[in-house]
Amino acid sequence: MQFFQFTREQEMLRKAVREFAEAEIAPKAAEWDEKDYCPIELFPKMGEMGITGVFVPEEYGGAGLGHVERAICLEEISKYSAGLGIALMTHHLGLSSILYFGTEEQKKKYLPELAAGTKIAGLAVTEPGGGSDLMGIKSKAEEKDGKWVINGRKCFITNSHIADYNVLVVSIGKDQKGHNLMAAFIIKKGTPGYTPGRKENKFGLRGSVTGDINCVNVTVGSEAMLGGSGDGIKIAMKSIGEVGRAGMAAIGVGILRGCLEEAVKFANERIIYGKPLSKIQSIQFNIAETRLEYESARLLLYHAASMKDENLPCTTEFGMAKWYATEAAVNASKRTMDLMGGYGVINEYPVGRFLRDAQAAIPSGGTTDIQKIIIGRDTINKN
Amino acid sequence: MNIDEWKGVWVLAEQRSGRIDSVSFELIQKAKELKMQLKSSEPVTAVIIGNGIEKLTEELGEYGAEEVIVIDDPALEMFNNEIYSLILTDLIKKRKPEILLIGATISGQDIASMLGVRLGTGVATHSVGLHIDEDNNLVSAVPAFGGKVIGDIICPKHRPQIATVKPGILEKGQKMQGNKFKTIRYDPSDIIKKDKGCIKALAVHKKEYKGIPLQEAKVVVAGGFGIGSKGNWNLLRKLAQLLGGTVGCSRPVVDEGWIPDDHCMIGTSGKTIRPKLYIGFGISGSTHHVCGMKDSDVIISINKDENAPIFNVSDVGVVGDAEIILKDLIEKIEKLKSM
Amino acid sequence: MSYNIAVCIKPVPDPDFYDKITIDPRTKRITRSGIPAVINPADKNAVEAALEIKEKYGGKVTVITMAPPNAEENMREVLAMGADAAYILSDREFGGADTLATSYTLAQGLKKIGPFDIIITGTESADGATTQVPAQLAQWLEIPHLWGVKKIEFINETELKVRAKIEGGSIEYFIKLPALLAVSREINRPRYTTIMGIKGAKKKPLTIYGVKDIDIDLNNIGLKGSPTQAGAVNVPSIDRKCKKLRGEPDEIADLLIRELTAAGIPLE
Repeated sequence: MQFFQFTREQEMLRKAVREFAEAEIAPKAAEWDEKDYCPIELFPKMGEMGITGVFVPEEYGGAGLGHVERAICLEEISKYSAGLGIALMTHHLGLSSILYFGTEEQKKKYLPELAAGTKIAGLAVTEPGGGSDLMGIKSKAEEKDGKWVINGRKCFITNSHIADYNVLVVSIGKDQKGHNLMAAFIIKKGTPGYTPGRKENKFGLRGSVTGDINCVNVTVGSEAMLGGSGDGIKIAMKSIGEVGRAGMAAIGVGILRGCLEEAVKFANERIIYGKPLSKIQSIQFNIAETRLEYESARLLLYHAASMKDENLPCTTEFGMAKWYATEAAVNASKRTMDLMGGYGVINEYPVGRFLRDAQAAIPSGGTTDIQKIIIGRDTINKN
Repeated sequence: MNIDEWKGVWVLAEQRSGRIDSVSFELIQKAKELKMQLKSSEPVTAVIIGNGIEKLTEELGEYGAEEVIVIDDPALEMFNNEIYSLILTDLIKKRKPEILLIGATISGQDIASMLGVRLGTGVATHSVGLHIDEDNNLVSAVPAFGGKVIGDIICPKHRPQIATVKPGILEKGQKMQGNKFKTIRYDPSDIIKKDKGCIKALAVHKKEYKGIPLQEAKVVVAGGFGIGSKGNWNLLRKLAQLLGGTVGCSRPVVDEGWIPDDHCMIGTSGKTIRPKLYIGFGISGSTHHVCGMKDSDVIISINKDENAPIFNVSDVGVVGDAEIILKDLIEKIEKLKSM
Repeated sequence: MSYNIAVCIKPVPDPDFYDKITIDPRTKRITRSGIPAVINPADKNAVEAALEIKEKYGGKVTVITMAPPNAEENMREVLAMGADAAYILSDREFGGADTLATSYTLAQGLKKIGPFDIIITGTESADGATTQVPAQLAQWLEIPHLWGVKKIEFINETELKVRAKIEGGSIEYFIKLPALLAVSREINRPRYTTIMGIKGAKKKPLTIYGVKDIDIDLNNIGLKGSPTQAGAVNVPSIDRKCKKLRGEPDEIADLLIRELTAAGIPLE
């Protein structure tokens, strides 16, 4: 067993993404949060950096690296703006379903622009009738004259209004046992009948767009189907389980790191009773707790990500990372706000945003309770 | 090299468009001090290069030069680092000064660096202090790490000992009309013929800046990143006008592009100032900037961060919003002036 | 026409940490431990300028530094920006060099690896900031140079029109290649290192040369070749006792006016 260490190239990658984030994201993160503005103009820039297509193979225009590298990118970006983090991770989520389940033709058609960040992707699964309850999906796709006609409404969809290509998971009927059979369709923005609807005003993860998608007789050819008839559930679960949750975990780790850095900075600079705050034992305990949470979340995340890069099944590992990182991010944010006293509630400091973003991250990619079900079942089945 | 053969303290005076740069006079004053510390009898010598510059020698004498070497030729009208350094190398090898002081202007520093190789000697850059030690060596105090650290540099075994000093660090002496000095004319024509013509100045593009030059102002109103935006720059100008001063800035303002270039940037890589009053708004107090203004008589700082390092070097401090305080101050002073 | 371009790089302690530097009272030396080494910020502008020439006219960009072997990490970063090959001149004998010895060493290295059409450097390093190495390097190589370059234009294949900074403006120069240009930071904005660049950097050649690999006179390098010697160092104290003005926002302006008057500024 090796002790966990990043390669030299991964450290260089982290440094490069950090410099990019410090220059392009850090100065504007507070403004994006306040105005609830999603900076889509950064996507082509992130494309040039290699971030939007970090795990897309070079033959399709990506950087040809893996999910560890993706997690590094998301951690560094989310430290400054978790809102942009979730927009980016959702883009990865959408494109990963095409990458892992698409035909060669589909990959050649969609991936290059998605890797370059000149087009944005999304994955739309959740509905008013079913979020945690995937089988409760009611949107329907019916075959008519060799084409598919889609009707229904999706809600709580990240990138709803900005995705150029959205992967919709809808019901195509029922199987013999009466369970929903599902398929995934790649829908292009602007297709008649496909319209983003209501836009949500979120408490956290502002700077990303979350909203409804309405489909009224959206007609697409069979070449728009991703995978086969009935593959919809598999695609949804694998994508969310290993790319969606991974993204949310990375966002949690980024926020944890942000909390740690803000806490240390504040504790070193603030002078009270004639000494820096950092000399006080209770402050040291506070920072120690955040440190432990950050290191633990980090280990869980990168362990799961390296398993994915080895093509090992890792849904449970990502579930653990996501659960732990997002809940810990909430705790660490509050703990850091407490450390900062009055300054913690001033919006010029990012900690308030960290707390809101962390809390908003919890129901995304499966609530904590869902993660517990997955992990519990997996543990019992294995033993 | 026989060190003992090298005698005399020299100053390379700098002139542009018929005006001698003030740093030359500051260096002549220092040269006089060094001559005394050396207990030398060699005349304090100023060297001046250009075209039609004979008339400028008078002023060098008035500020204390005892000997002026004039190198005058039409080919020397525009600064040319190759030709100037060829000439100076020849002159210095012939006359062997032990110390050469040069103003750390862009062209002065360039020449100094080149002479280091051509004469095989040491150059101390941007000295903030010069004195002679017990071994009769020149000791230069030079800054490093953005000015955070000052280190002593000596050049014990090589001559001349070359040191450059930025304008505004030293003080010039009193101008004495009718001072006697000796003029020596050095003929550069043989050297000029040796130039291979690989580099030639074609045109000078000078910006006209309005207002009092930063290093001559008695009052400086400085703005930093904490001003908030480019749009607030006018407030600083207004206040400077009301106080009879000029505007300065810190480096982040230049990096952000709030002003077009660095002509009013105060700092180790910018200008050094010592006004009667420095009042800074939204300046955090990084070493870079502080090194450029720390010798101001009175320093007043306004910054919204009570932990900003600038307060450690200020006489008076206000923790508050720079934009609001600027506006209030301008309003109140205008009212006072109209009464 | 394609150009063989060299860029001289220096790894320096990260300037963001300079405010925290102190002198160890026992050894009287600067405490540098814990400060990471980064590429001198001005050198990145030099690399960017070189890459732009290569992209416009074709050619090769070689980066060179005189530094300990652990500079490899920094050199890989520059390769990731887009440089084609990297060299580190590293040897115990090079240690303790002042600018004269450093520029001589770099010159001998460049002579071995070159010849080069254009050599580009930054104007100064963040730590020493003497600004001397570019001019001195050009002297050893016997080529013309300009310091503080803001704009580079090619008149033809071997002649350039270059704008260099001067106080209060700039001077336009004619300069013949081969030449050395020390570029000012305002000339460009260095590109980000991309992930693809990092991947490619692994495969690019990085060579370490010692004294035995280049033609060099041992008397001109390291401590031996340094006419200047460093003496005592200190961290000067510039602290002042700061009187903090307190009061309601509308009172602050009045208090400030009182201070301005006390400082002798006429306000009537």
